[in-house]
Amino acid sequence: MLKSPEFKRMNQSLDRRNFLTKTSLGLGAIALGSLFGNSVFGKVTGANGHEAPAATLEEEILRAIPHFAPKAKRVVYLFMSGGPSQFETFDYKPKLTNMFGQPLPDSVRQGQRLTSMSANQSILPIAPSVYKFSQHGETQTWISELLPHTAQVVDDLCIIKSIHSEAINHDPAITFFQTGTQLPGRPSIGSWISYGLGTDNKNLPSFIVLVSKNAVKDQPLYARLWGNGFLPSEHQGVQFRAGKDPVLFLDNPQGYDGEDRKEMLGYLSKLNKLQNEPYGDPEVQARITQYEMAYRMQTSVPEVMDTTGEPSEVFDLYGPDSRDPGTYAANCILARKLLEKDVKFVQLYHQGWDHHGGLPAGIKKQCKDTDQPTAALIKDLKRRGLLEDTLVIWGGEFGRTVYSQGKLQPNDYGRDHHPRCFTMWMAGAGVKPGISYGETDDFSYNVVKNPVHVHDFQATLMHIMGIDHERLTFKFQGRRFRLTDVQGNVVRDILT
Amino acid sequence: MVLDIPTFLGHLHPVIVHLPIGFLLLAVIFEFLSYFKKYKELKTAVSLTLLLGFVSATLACLFGYLLSLGGNYDAQILANHKVGGIILAGISGLLFLVTTAPLNKIVSAYRRHYTVICLFLLLVVSYTGHLGGLLTHGVNYLSLNIISEGVANKPVSVEEARLFEDVVQPLLNKKCAQCHREGKMKGELSVQTYGGLMNGGKSKSVIIGGNLDKSELYKRITLDPSNDKHMPPDGKTPLTQGEIGILKWWIEKGMAGKGEKITDLKDIGEIKPLVANFLGFGAALKSDEMIPQIDNKVNSEIPLNFNIGFIDSLRNHGLVVRVMMHNPVMLDITLPAGSKFIPNSIKTDLKAVAKNVIWLNLSGNGLTENDLDFLPKMTNLEKLRLEKNPVTDKVTNLLLGLSHLEALNLNETKITGFCLEKLKQMPGLKRVYSWHTPEK
Repeated sequence: MLKSPEFKRMNQSLDRRNFLTKTSLGLGAIALGSLFGNSVFGKVTGANGHEAPAATLEEEILRAIPHFAPKAKRVVYLFMSGGPSQFETFDYKPKLTNMFGQPLPDSVRQGQRLTSMSANQSILPIAPSVYKFSQHGETQTWISELLPHTAQVVDDLCIIKSIHSEAINHDPAITFFQTGTQLPGRPSIGSWISYGLGTDNKNLPSFIVLVSKNAVKDQPLYARLWGNGFLPSEHQGVQFRAGKDPVLFLDNPQGYDGEDRKEMLGYLSKLNKLQNEPYGDPEVQARITQYEMAYRMQTSVPEVMDTTGEPSEVFDLYGPDSRDPGTYAANCILARKLLEKDVKFVQLYHQGWDHHGGLPAGIKKQCKDTDQPTAALIKDLKRRGLLEDTLVIWGGEFGRTVYSQGKLQPNDYGRDHHPRCFTMWMAGAGVKPGISYGETDDFSYNVVKNPVHVHDFQATLMHIMGIDHERLTFKFQGRRFRLTDVQGNVVRDILT
Repeated sequence: MVLDIPTFLGHLHPVIVHLPIGFLLLAVIFEFLSYFKKYKELKTAVSLTLLLGFVSATLACLFGYLLSLGGNYDAQILANHKVGGIILAGISGLLFLVTTAPLNKIVSAYRRHYTVICLFLLLVVSYTGHLGGLLTHGVNYLSLNIISEGVANKPVSVEEARLFEDVVQPLLNKKCAQCHREGKMKGELSVQTYGGLMNGGKSKSVIIGGNLDKSELYKRITLDPSNDKHMPPDGKTPLTQGEIGILKWWIEKGMAGKGEKITDLKDIGEIKPLVANFLGFGAALKSDEMIPQIDNKVNSEIPLNFNIGFIDSLRNHGLVVRVMMHNPVMLDITLPAGSKFIPNSIKTDLKAVAKNVIWLNLSGNGLTENDLDFLPKMTNLEKLRLEKNPVTDKVTNLLLGLSHLEALNLNETKITGFCLEKLKQMPGLKRVYSWHTPEK
């Protein structure tokens, strides 16, 4: 059976030499020969042949990337998990003020579905934001008083108010955002990017995930959200632990020079290769790659984690939480440091935005925890010139309803899930700064102008990275899959 | 539609039909040659050749009838073709018959008459064959007028070309009209004229301006080739990506361009190279480039020929080289931080690829302006990162010639206001970063 053509082809396609060939014109010059140290001008790693015939269509697809000149070379995606309300943040709806407590008109809802949490309510009372809005920046953009720091960088943001999703509950919605499908099992955006573009820093994973420790864990996050799905395993997001030691067991014990471990890893690698030759199991290949990566991370991770070199001015910029490793603010600093090291895709998750009840108090805390660090990240990247080629994304998996879930009180209310319109923003490379795109109706219930579907957002993100979302595919179970499935249009209006 | 056996046999008509032509022609040639002494033995071969011609002609008639059941052919031509075929089979059968045992004695007495009848047979073959040709290739196929007209009206440049008349119509004629035309009308559609297209076919209107999704024609040519409904069907030359691109654009723009020149239309950026390629102007494009690209704003000064060996060479020296685009090759090169200096071997390579370097990152390397003599050669550079290097104001002169430079990072360098003032002379330079410099 192992002699069958399928296995032969798989063997070929995952053959190390072929892999090198593939990457010789692609982005990642993955010097696999450099497991044990690599001086910059040191030894010449194996000569890579170029223009060798591609063994598979997959290789040809990769070789054609980038499809057009990229605007960004890195992405930092600040995922606000739980569904932040657009009413208290970016989508200013002044007409609601006079409609306090009135039932949501049927003409607005048009019979659209609600979650089971509020579908049986006898009345859907309109709940205007208790927080005030004012205009900021040269663009005079309306921003909530909860986001005073974000308001300072508003001229750098491209605010999309018309994003809409298909899923109405957390798990499918967040899976949809991350993988393009509501069902689990597909690769995450970061994995697609890593697979398509390779790495610019072979000492760090190209897709790194940071989850805030200082958030209300009202809705769970799961590793499959940054999973590689059916893509080769080395493209899965690597989650750094929230805390002082983001990757465990990197330090050598005192008095140990690591020589025999180096030797042990050498033999292990040989064993793995021995195993890989007859079986051609991609997981063995992934394991080899991961061991090599782990070894290099022993030096690269402590270096990037070391914040002693950061002046106190930086901590002041990111806010008081930033000195406490694992908080959102500290993760923002870490993200900047990873981006400085050319890590391709950094994704931060901050939970706790699921305010079915007690929204005014809940969202105030969320904004306090995230507003200053988020704005600081923009400012910091900008002054360092990194916003030139870094794309920053902020957003959740859906928005929230205009009506109150549960009892509406003058100063307290809740909001249910609302996928039909909500707000996200992008900033930095490739997107127009200081614009608002798309419009919602007076109830922020339906999109009235320039709708942006989740697939459109994903297509645009890929486009900014130089990838045509229709042409990056991977064959699995007999079908070629892509991040945007069979949909998605690049939102050209927001591109520079 | 399931292909049943009669239809299948019908499809064999075009194959089998050439046999009687060959056999009967040969029989007539043999008949003539047998008058010469040298070839007089051929007379005996005429009989057998005629028999073969008769059998194959009969089969061709039969299969031809089956084929005629399935297609929308011009009735008059078809009827004539049918009668011609039957007469042909009949005459060849008779001619064979008179060469057989009891009759051959009579024939030898009227040898000249026999030869004349053979000549008549030749005429019938030509006539019937010609009608068959008209049915498959169209009445205009063999017309000198049309052919010379096509050459004469060929536009001299892309600018002169009319979108419908010179591009879309010839394209459809070339790829679709063999079946979808007056006289054949497969699927009741003719693409030969604008009117024919508008009349549509079996599936009603085939093209709806501005609505690709509802345009049956576009749907059919872009289906998966394995799909039964894909056009052109198996065996016919499929449309190229470029041709599909032209039709797509034409439909999207509401089928504009009846008589309009291409240059009169808006947003012709993406269509122009495709049309040029279709009309045979300029070098042929690679299939990659046929797909209309969203970004066409590529700096034309970037050289098109590029030796990718330099990429390997730079990578082997430890530099990170990212290919930002393949055609032309645009590079993003990073010198890993902490390199202290740039050896001459690297400088040589950098100079060799200088015009293809679009982004360059030299940050954090302890470099001074003396290390950067290659910079003025990188005239297509758009983003340059020099931060965290002890470069001074002297670097300014290396930069002033970089007309495409958009963003310049001089954070944490030793430059002063003098340099910044000078940089203002560069009209293309949009963003300069000078955080943590003596200037501030």
